[in-house]
Amino acid sequence: MAKSDDCVHILQGLLVFGNVVIGMCGIALTAECIYFVSNPHGLYPLLKTTENSDIYAAAWIGIFVGLALFALSILGIIGVIKASRTLLMVYIILMLITFAFEMASCITAATHRDSLTPQLLLKQMLERYQNSEPANNSDSEVTKTWDELMLQNHCCGVQGPSDWQEYTSAFRRTHSDADYPWPRPCCVLDAQGLPVNLDGCKLGVPGYYNSNGCYDAISGPVNKHAWGVAWFGFAILCWTFCVLLGTIFYWSGIEY
Amino acid sequence: LPTPPARLPYVPHVPPGALLGKVTATTFALERPRCVFDGHADASDAVWLAVAFANASGAFRNPPSRAEVPPYKQLPTARSYMTLETAAAAYSCSAPSPPVLRVGSDTACRDQGRQDPCNGPLPSPGPYRVKFLLMGCSGPKAETRWSEPILLRRALSPSTIEPAPARHGSAVVVIASILASLGAVLASAVLGALGAKVWGFLCHRDLGTDAFIRRSYRTHHIPPALPQPLRPGCGWSPPGLCHSAPQPPAPC
Repeated sequence: MAKSDDCVHILQGLLVFGNVVIGMCGIALTAECIYFVSNPHGLYPLLKTTENSDIYAAAWIGIFVGLALFALSILGIIGVIKASRTLLMVYIILMLITFAFEMASCITAATHRDSLTPQLLLKQMLERYQNSEPANNSDSEVTKTWDELMLQNHCCGVQGPSDWQEYTSAFRRTHSDADYPWPRPCCVLDAQGLPVNLDGCKLGVPGYYNSNGCYDAISGPVNKHAWGVAWFGFAILCWTFCVLLGTIFYWSGIEY
Repeated sequence: LPTPPARLPYVPHVPPGALLGKVTATTFALERPRCVFDGHADASDAVWLAVAFANASGAFRNPPSRAEVPPYKQLPTARSYMTLETAAAAYSCSAPSPPVLRVGSDTACRDQGRQDPCNGPLPSPGPYRVKFLLMGCSGPKAETRWSEPILLRRALSPSTIEPAPARHGSAVVVIASILASLGAVLASAVLGALGAKVWGFLCHRDLGTDAFIRRSYRTHHIPPALPQPLRPGCGWSPPGLCHSAPQPPAPC
């Protein structure tokens, strides 16, 4: 019958198109998660020590889910065109598993977006920065990360240099308050890496020290990436849901 | 009998401007007095800063000569000391100079245990009171008034920081609930489709009529049966030939 043939062809066309979009989105998701995991802002040591590295786990899952989506979309296209029940059943089951993994990654990324609070970072910085008796290797990594962060973003502490004055710290145990009210990277440095005006920096004269905190420089990129992984994953899942429903309907109509 | 030093009305104070480090845990800054000692100071005179605990400032006695100036090391016992010896010319009206003085900036003074007057960091939060003292060859010539008590910073331990529990925004709830419902719908759709097929298979229903998607129909080609060749005398009488007496057919 010509009419039902047309309907079938339309359904096949829609499913092929849906699978093409899933494949491309899978590649995009893999690319985004690889970019995030490659640690472009050097913030991974900070997140690891605050036990907030679940965002990285979500990104790792996103990499493999993206590749799986691409492979499965090809399988789906072949199965739809050949109208093969076995191929489509395999496709549906594997897609459901991928759906479940992407759901987990998405929810994890969304949950951990808000868990990086200033107090958490402040406590970790005070306890680990320039720790002279490092409990393990992560303390020296924290110190290196903070130094680079303060030098590149021209910031000091989490909320400002007063963090070093309001609280005692591991830094304070080895550096006297009179010589180092705050660490040297908080001073405005010249091309050789020396403070432009050391006394001005120690006194807190505006222009010779960095008065803003580093919290925005940390939470900004992390939140952006977590949001990207979460919402892009959510969009892919909604589209995949529609394609899968169509595929199930198509599969149930194939005669044996 | 030495004349008592002239009392100048100037009150030392912490600089009023926005300086983040003007009071730290072991140091503090003072606004540099300008034009305060003009008229009292000679070229050879020196201006000292006397620092005392706020409750010991009343008991402070000006030293009669430079040799008897209490050094930094005596602060724990004498509850006061003098430091920041500067030529009086540095405080005159025309002297270009940085606008603040920093008390406690010389850590070598404390670490090396020096006996001479130096500017070591303050050991406790205080509070402290300061005054400037103009000393000449024969003793103190002028003094300012005592400052208001200056309290240094006290630092808290980082264990007092309570990491605030993260409040999950409503977006997380939206994402989680929508995804969970999508997953449930999908799972039930797959189970429903599978179940319908299995049930139909078990009831031996003809499924061919339900299917709307037909694959290429592979027909089994049955060739039409060809007529068998004629065998004469096998009990088959050709039409038109009449025999008088029908004979039973002979076996072939």
